[in-house]
Amino acid sequence: MADLLETGSNWLQDQRKKHATREVTYRRGVDSVSVQATVGRTVFEQDDGSGVIIRTEVRDYLIDTADLVLAGQPALPERGDRIEETEGGKKFTYEVMPLGTEPHWRYSDPYRKTLRVHTKHIATEDV
Amino acid sequence: MAVITDVADALVAELNAASLSLPLTAARYYVPSFELQDMKDLHVSIVPKGVVITKSDRSRNTNDFQIDVAVQKKFETGDAAEIDPLVTLVEEIADFFRLRRLTAYPNAHWIKTEHAPIYAQEHWDELRQFTSVLTLTFRVVR
Repeated sequence: MADLLETGSNWLQDQRKKHATREVTYRRGVDSVSVQATVGRTVFEQDDGSGVIIRTEVRDYLIDTADLVLAGQPALPERGDRIEETEGGKKFTYEVMPLGTEPHWRYSDPYRKTLRVHTKHIATEDV
Repeated sequence: MAVITDVADALVAELNAASLSLPLTAARYYVPSFELQDMKDLHVSIVPKGVVITKSDRSRNTNDFQIDVAVQKKFETGDAAEIDPLVTLVEEIADFFRLRRLTAYPNAHWIKTEHAPIYAQEHWDELRQFTSVLTLTFRVVR
């Protein structure tokens, strides 16, 4: 018998991809791929305990696991990978990094269909 | 102006005039607070941290002013070729102030430098950024 929860979850992920995503470029070194991603957003401050505060915008991207293909091979996110969004004549670059005690990515659903990738804003350029 | 800010400003002037292996522009802050996207460039922040006051003689106190020198830069890969020059710079700054009497505030002379940890692991891990903080202590008897 089919796993109804899995079927439902997959349907929801498909609807998310269909109705709540934008195109972004996922880049690792010279390799890149255009993927449809759902964007989440937070802002926070960080203090290293020595009084030096670094502010950064944190974004989570939800990306279909099957879509992340780099240099012809299925890939999983690595620290230092970049995600680029272009909007309003500007390119916003986010770098894949851990968030607090969480690793830099995790599966977003129990069936490993969707990746949740943690990133931080590192650059804005005119295009 | 408070003596600790005078000492910090003198330290900024001294550092900006120094000849070190990487070009830098130091600035004094009460609370250094930056955007991660601006950290691709080297940041050197001078921050007054604290003072320990003890009796010197019948009319004067010994003031040991602690000043933080934070060296920060967002790295690309974090490999040795990228990080070693930053560690070297921090060491050069520590060496530069050893036994130094500040030109712009000659009453202040160096007592000690603390450098632990060598870099902030949280910034390395969560921001992919090099952050190293020296705490310099300068003594003023007044």
